[in-house]
Amino acid sequence: MATSSTLTPPLRSRRDSVHGHEKPSPVATALLLLGALYCLLPVLWVLMASTKDGSELFSTFTFAPSTHLFDNIAQLSAYRDGLFWRWMANTALYAGAGAIASTFVSALSGYVLAKFVFPGKGAVFNILLMGVLVPGVILAIPQYFLMAQLGLTNTYWAVFLPQIISPYGIYLARIYAAAAVPTDVVEAARTDGSSELGIFARIAMPMMLPGLVTIFLFQFVAIWNNFMLPYIMLGDDSLFPITVGLNGLLNQGASAPALYTLVVTGALLSVLPLILMFLLLQRFWRVDLAAGAVKA
Amino acid sequence: MRRRSHRFRSRVLTPYLMLAPGILLFAVFMAAPILYTLYLSFQRVEVSGLGLGSGARKQVFAGLDNYAAALSDPEFAASVGRVLLYGLILIPCMLGLALLFALLLDSRRSRATTFSRVSIFLPYAVPAVISSLLWGFLYLPSVSPFYYVTERLGLDMPQILSSGLIMFGIANIALWGGVGFNMIVIYTSLKAVPNDIYEAARLDGATETQIALRIKIPIVMPSLIMTALFSIVATLQVFAEPTTLRPLTNTLSTSWTPLMKVYRDAFTRDDIYSAAASSIVIAAATLLISFVFLRVVQKRAFGQED
Amino acid sequence: MRSILRVGAMATVAATALLTAGCSSPAADEPTAEGPVELSFWAWAPNIEKVVELWNEENPDIQVTVSKQDGGDPAVTKLLTAINAGSGAPDLMQAEYQKIPTLVASDALADISEGAGDLEDKFPEGVWSSVTLGGDALYAVPQDSGPMMFYYREDVFKELGLEVPTTWEEYADVARAVHASDPKRYLGTFSANDAGWFAGMAQQAGTSWWSIDGDSWGVDIDSEATEKVASYWGGLVEEGAIDNKPMYTPEWNAGLNDGSQVGWLSAVWAPGVLSGNAAETAGLWKAAPMPQWEGEEATGNWGGSSTAVTSQSEHVEAATEFATWLNTDPEAVQALADVANVFPAATEEAEAALTTAPEFFSNQPDFYDVAADVAETVSPFTYGPNVNVAFSAYNDEFAKAADAKTESAFVDALKAMQEITVSDLKDNGFNVK
Repeated sequence: MATSSTLTPPLRSRRDSVHGHEKPSPVATALLLLGALYCLLPVLWVLMASTKDGSELFSTFTFAPSTHLFDNIAQLSAYRDGLFWRWMANTALYAGAGAIASTFVSALSGYVLAKFVFPGKGAVFNILLMGVLVPGVILAIPQYFLMAQLGLTNTYWAVFLPQIISPYGIYLARIYAAAAVPTDVVEAARTDGSSELGIFARIAMPMMLPGLVTIFLFQFVAIWNNFMLPYIMLGDDSLFPITVGLNGLLNQGASAPALYTLVVTGALLSVLPLILMFLLLQRFWRVDLAAGAVKA
Repeated sequence: MRRRSHRFRSRVLTPYLMLAPGILLFAVFMAAPILYTLYLSFQRVEVSGLGLGSGARKQVFAGLDNYAAALSDPEFAASVGRVLLYGLILIPCMLGLALLFALLLDSRRSRATTFSRVSIFLPYAVPAVISSLLWGFLYLPSVSPFYYVTERLGLDMPQILSSGLIMFGIANIALWGGVGFNMIVIYTSLKAVPNDIYEAARLDGATETQIALRIKIPIVMPSLIMTALFSIVATLQVFAEPTTLRPLTNTLSTSWTPLMKVYRDAFTRDDIYSAAASSIVIAAATLLISFVFLRVVQKRAFGQED
Repeated sequence: MRSILRVGAMATVAATALLTAGCSSPAADEPTAEGPVELSFWAWAPNIEKVVELWNEENPDIQVTVSKQDGGDPAVTKLLTAINAGSGAPDLMQAEYQKIPTLVASDALADISEGAGDLEDKFPEGVWSSVTLGGDALYAVPQDSGPMMFYYREDVFKELGLEVPTTWEEYADVARAVHASDPKRYLGTFSANDAGWFAGMAQQAGTSWWSIDGDSWGVDIDSEATEKVASYWGGLVEEGAIDNKPMYTPEWNAGLNDGSQVGWLSAVWAPGVLSGNAAETAGLWKAAPMPQWEGEEATGNWGGSSTAVTSQSEHVEAATEFATWLNTDPEAVQALADVANVFPAATEEAEAALTTAPEFFSNQPDFYDVAADVAETVSPFTYGPNVNVAFSAYNDEFAKAADAKTESAFVDALKAMQEITVSDLKDNGFNVK
């Protein structure tokens, strides 16, 4: 616990600072630790499982570590000339670049919806928001047909473009813009003759920054979690993101063994960068879903 | 047009221009596919003879046949029933735990809060495909540590993958992945409350528990409602967890949830038309349920504000 | 006014972009005078890319790129989606035999009978008919086949003093004996996940689930022979002599490792799966012909696939040349057998290639002699255009039956499977007898 707080600057809230004065409650702490244990247990399992070779995975006690972690990593890296690392790079590209693009579009749209008064605003917002209700599985097939019309299936674009638009992101950005960007500041800038895009880029965006980091993380996880879209769009395995790639290692068909050790090791390696990113950016996680809802 | 014409540019055109990227992307990648799905839902394929060779299949207008078939399909109805039950199990547990953890994190008397917050949030980073695989290992008696331990202790632990418990097994995976996110949402809104309110309550002699129940929970109510709404939407769309677990057990059918049925019809049975109709029904039902939910809770929660 | 113009300009740009993109679809693989022909190949056989490398070295003009796919089903799904959409399909595709009618019905495969030359004599009759569907067209070149065999743990059999079962009756007795020796041990499991496995067992019992009769399809899934198979397994599951859990799960793997799965009704490719899943048990297993029903020695086929050229390929000729090479060239067949661990379908080439037993079966030097004898006894079987529907019905219905653990539930599952398959054909307008 001590290490985790040195690794990550904790949210220094007003109440944290007075912790010392209150009598600690063992029950409260125990409950929290129990929750933490529940959430960490499967992660711990992957960690242990990834140290085992193929037979040990199925024959030794699951939480007993072994010594094959580096063999497994080497084996995974050797699989089809390092295809795994290609998948990792693809995932970083889809989720990273996709989330940046998505954050920008969401910020711009959310800002306009929060700070402008114009006819049709309510309708635009509600229609965009309805997008939240449409499941990805349903969209995947028609999106495939559309991409096929554009000749873009089986390319990076096929996975990248459809995920830039994020109704959740726009919704969140609208809330952040409403809360973080004072209207009189915008008005003052307008009076000074700044262009609207200039106001957005130079004044509003910096004010919304903590919220934008949240949207970025949110969308990063959403793209990284979206299995169906790349699964359908991509035929070329050198374009796969990690989830589709690992799934392929599991489902090799009846006449080939599932590569469990590779999958387990791959799962561990693929979650690590995300965990690191969470730890580094966790103080930005402020998902205030409701501030706008009360007003709406 | 309410505004005067010389203000047209700044008041109407500028916002729409700035919204253009969002609207364009929405139109191309969400609206167009949805409309296309709608179109497909009124079509069906007709095969002639043996159906071999080119030209043996053609797409014809089906009217409302696909909808009639979807709505009268007992498999579809059963999958809807399962998802509703699943939601009844999952959502109260997930939001209850998320609220509990958020309150504990916010309490002055808890320790190890940073560690707990990060740990509980961590599963959010694990894609459902991977988390279901992990839990799958933990559910299978011969490779699971839980069964290993209970067997050593001479206890008879029930089979999670059996038909009676599978629902809980899947709900647990979703709970594991989702509780941290909802906790953060609620925690964020707790953080936004000025400290004075609590100080005042303490001066009045309120205990921490009373403060939590009487002040904090009402304050986070709007957040709870929104997390509930998003959880409902996610629940109706549950797909990845049961799909990944299905090969491990005899208790999950290929149409266990509505979306699994859509997937099976579209991809395994190559019948995108009835899949499209079922999709539209699911989307419409989701819209309806969300709308009704918001109406009901808004009256209750925000009634005094009206 | 400037802004209005800007909007107009943007709209035009967007529209042009859409239009040009729509018209100039895949220009990338058009054959050019200078560059080599590039072929894409969706496959899932392990290490098949190493076999393809041999071709690429020898044929600089025709370069083939392998894209590994999820095993059989998802690859077909993806291919069909691409066919429906009009673009996105690869040039070549590894296709399981039972998928060929479905693919042909969706117009996904090119007829390669012209380019392939005379291949008929190279393959067993049953295999050949599944790539021609009994007509003059050729939809794929057979790659490998999966005649079913019985695998068992020789050490456990010795320990318990059991004989290798040669009939299903004996199999049932051995299953009871194995389970009686230790309640955790089973001779095998009934897997509701593997429709191909059950189809192979039905095939062995002498039935065929589909048939072509003039201009209509016949569906005979609930025939007497298959019902016999279903109630046989239902009976064993009901009395508990056989496990009811699916195969290919971590738990099943654990069973192979710790010896609680004592036998496996599988196919000739089993050594690859066993060595991958339970490497430590090398040398403990033995292969034998399948237990028999009364009558002539017979077996079914589980798995096995072919190399097809898709209807979207712009290089049918080059692709056909490659597909033919891959499955009939002695060097290629040798490589398929060695690195991809398949049992090649080309009879003579396979015989030449498969001389030494797989390493995992070093205790059984005559492994491939047994396999070759078994391969000659594969019964004929016809697959129909909606195998996907029948197989997913198998998954659902037999999962319920395996969970219910009663013999009657197994028979009911078969009836339901027949009904779902027939009504799907009828609903789609196929002629059904």
